[in-house]
Amino acid sequence: MKIAYSHLVQHIAENPSIEDISDNLFQLGHEHEIDGNIFDMEFTPNRGDCLSINGLLRDLAVFYTIDLNQDMYTEKLDELLIDFENLSESTCPQISFLKLEIDQVPEIYKDSLDSYFLDLGLNKNNFFTDVSNYLSYETGQPTHCYDANTMSGKLVFHEIEKNEVFETLLDKKITLTSKNSVFSLNNKVINLAGVVGGKSTSCSANTKTVLIECAFFQPEAIIGKSIKYDIQSEASHKFERGVDPECHDGVLRRFINIVSNHTNIKDMYIISYKSKDSPITQIPVNVSKINQIIGINISEKEYLSYLSKLDFVIEEGFIKVPSFRSDVKTQNDLAEEVARVIGYDNIATSNITIPSNEKSNHRDIENKLRYFLLDHGFYEVINSPFVSLSSEEAIKVDNPLDSNREFLRTNITNSLVDNLLFNERRQKDSIKLFEISDIYSSKNALLKKRKLSIIASGRVGLNYEEFSKKINKKYLTTLFQKILSNEVFDFKVLSRDSLDTKIKNEIISLEVDIDMFSNDILSYKEISKPPEKFNQYSRISDLPSSIKDISYSIKDYSKTQDLQDLLLNYKSDLIKNIYIFDYFKNEKEEEIKIGFRFIFQSKKMTLKSAEIELVYNDIVRQSLEISGISIPGM
Amino acid sequence: MSSSKDILSPKLIKDSGALHPINHMKDSIMNLLVSFGFEIVDGPEIETEEFNFDMLNIKKSHPARQMHDTFYVENKSNLLRTHTSPVQIRGMLERKPPIAFISGGKVYRKDDDATHLPMFHQVEGIYVDENVNFAQLKDLIYKIIYSLFGEDVQLRFRPSYFPFTEPSAEVDILSKEGKWLEILGCGLVNPVVLENCNIDSSKYSGLAFGLGIERIAMLKHGVTDIREFYKSNLDFLSQFK
Repeated sequence: MKIAYSHLVQHIAENPSIEDISDNLFQLGHEHEIDGNIFDMEFTPNRGDCLSINGLLRDLAVFYTIDLNQDMYTEKLDELLIDFENLSESTCPQISFLKLEIDQVPEIYKDSLDSYFLDLGLNKNNFFTDVSNYLSYETGQPTHCYDANTMSGKLVFHEIEKNEVFETLLDKKITLTSKNSVFSLNNKVINLAGVVGGKSTSCSANTKTVLIECAFFQPEAIIGKSIKYDIQSEASHKFERGVDPECHDGVLRRFINIVSNHTNIKDMYIISYKSKDSPITQIPVNVSKINQIIGINISEKEYLSYLSKLDFVIEEGFIKVPSFRSDVKTQNDLAEEVARVIGYDNIATSNITIPSNEKSNHRDIENKLRYFLLDHGFYEVINSPFVSLSSEEAIKVDNPLDSNREFLRTNITNSLVDNLLFNERRQKDSIKLFEISDIYSSKNALLKKRKLSIIASGRVGLNYEEFSKKINKKYLTTLFQKILSNEVFDFKVLSRDSLDTKIKNEIISLEVDIDMFSNDILSYKEISKPPEKFNQYSRISDLPSSIKDISYSIKDYSKTQDLQDLLLNYKSDLIKNIYIFDYFKNEKEEEIKIGFRFIFQSKKMTLKSAEIELVYNDIVRQSLEISGISIPGM
Repeated sequence: MSSSKDILSPKLIKDSGALHPINHMKDSIMNLLVSFGFEIVDGPEIETEEFNFDMLNIKKSHPARQMHDTFYVENKSNLLRTHTSPVQIRGMLERKPPIAFISGGKVYRKDDDATHLPMFHQVEGIYVDENVNFAQLKDLIYKIIYSLFGEDVQLRFRPSYFPFTEPSAEVDILSKEGKWLEILGCGLVNPVVLENCNIDSSKYSGLAFGLGIERIAMLKHGVTDIREFYKSNLDFLSQFK
């Protein structure tokens, strides 16, 4: 909600700066950003009472001297005769109607009405709607204006459960479905209560006779309607969070005052319906409880002075909660009020010691497995559980984000296959992934299983011992048997026939329940350690990479290390990775053959051959400067 | 092809894998909290409305319970937990005070953009004992934040609203760029919630806190798009060893 600094400060005697008000708003828990002279407020959902100038000023009264200085009509008003029936008093326990007839529609706005539109850069609509919108901003109470000349017949407030097309005053046709709270005129819906009025009874620029409805709706009746019907509605935002049930007379008298400041009122009538009194919350005065909750030591006098500033009334040992604070019901709620006034940051800390629990063996087997896999080059992944494919056991999401995410996965392997293909498309030729996750299924009852799934394909490793070895069932079976000799693992070779890929490497997968692992794994001594620091992420490239291999012949063995030092530390923005993919010492020929692989990839552009050649030629030139080294064929 | 072992052979570099950065961050935070004395408790990701909402004092009218915020499954008989707080309910029902435990894991909300995902991770903690107060909660939060971000970090507490805590607070830290960034939510356990878990709220009080793992991981690693965590791109994952 946008609130102009000038609209607040005009009521504050101390004339504070925007920064000063901002600091105090934060202390009170009212998050906001400042755009020029406008506060863009974000209130917590329990503070519907703050969604107005007056509401915010009520809270700021703990810091400043507030003078609302808002005139209202004080004379007695004649009773309105209206054919109205409230068939759902539990939803709308209080409602008032004011009927006004004016001489002329004013063309120029004055005072606070004028500055409301000017300072917030808002578009005007028609006079009565504009006054209604302004009053909602000033008081927090939405009102709805009907053109009184369209309102002949019986007006009913009720809850309906039938499909009915309703055209809003914003020219949008919506079909009401399920249960809705509405106003009907002669059995036709004219207003989706608390959300938006209808076109057939809306005010226009020519409206001179208006019927103003001012109501309290239970939040439960309004909530979710604006999203359901895709309607932007400030009124529903306020009703959903709760408005002050006791403000109607004041708001409508303020309405009269603003109208009368702009034009002559010929006639005015009012009527109020109240099916039951609003409940009054009273909480016993108990400062020691407040001190205990917060961990402070304030006097009762200080405590009560804080609450008085927030309009709480202290009577006969009880604290009477004002009607606009429906969120305050308990001693803890009052403690929060006090803590806000003191300022959370001004409350001193008090040392805490948590009684120690015995060492938890939480997921020890799972963690050992993770580090075992890490030691053998596997990367942990996390996938979304939402999938498009159904299976007999898949759990269906009632309200999916889209049809591609309608079910919960019943296995992890399919997600890992997608991860594998994703990385193969990025020219990765050694891929080892695993994921551990809860998997849910439902046949007769909900079934939860914690599973490990692994997938691997391509080269065993990117080093000269493993480069030419391909991952297969035997490799993975041997790996697992090394540490779990008593357990049998059913590694599977997945077919690539249905996959969108031309790569032929075997895909090996395993998916097992974590429960099937015995404690044998706990004796495994892991090599990998958790990272010591949180590495800064370097942006990755989605551009294609190119590979260049160089094989050297070394006759002077002592130069082997020099060549490695040069090439493995070679720096270029165009090179992503360098490793030794081949090494062979031929004792007979007294020659070492060593092969280096260079992966070229830019973060900025697709590399051209010439750009790669430039770096490649520099590598060759520098390496051949080492004596006793040659590149066969060059 | 390699030859038999010789002293000139290059150092054999076998690439180790890496933990997922989100799981690593979750583990780091949970290990820290375990060192403070908390026990780890797990709970299901598919929950009932009773545990996810009702027992936590989240009323039927609360926006979070609408179909546009929560994933419901199997004809609304269950839902995907929207936070790890239902584990606190389950944990409190199974224990007697003093109680101190944490839970961490996946949670689900109906969101999908550059800063929100339908699945993300939380770690939550709860401590219930006699005379637990807000000043102690602050002390615990300072200890957590200082351990995560260093003792130089500036932080502030702001009043906030969670139906299951009262008073409630959100905690921000000041970034190097001078912006306040929300890091965690916390508060004193609402007595209604204690009573729902058969804990005498006139005798016991509790504190609770919850952290969004992705947000902290993004800050610590300098990742700006949350979606990067879940592409399973080896070029991304290999940076977090």
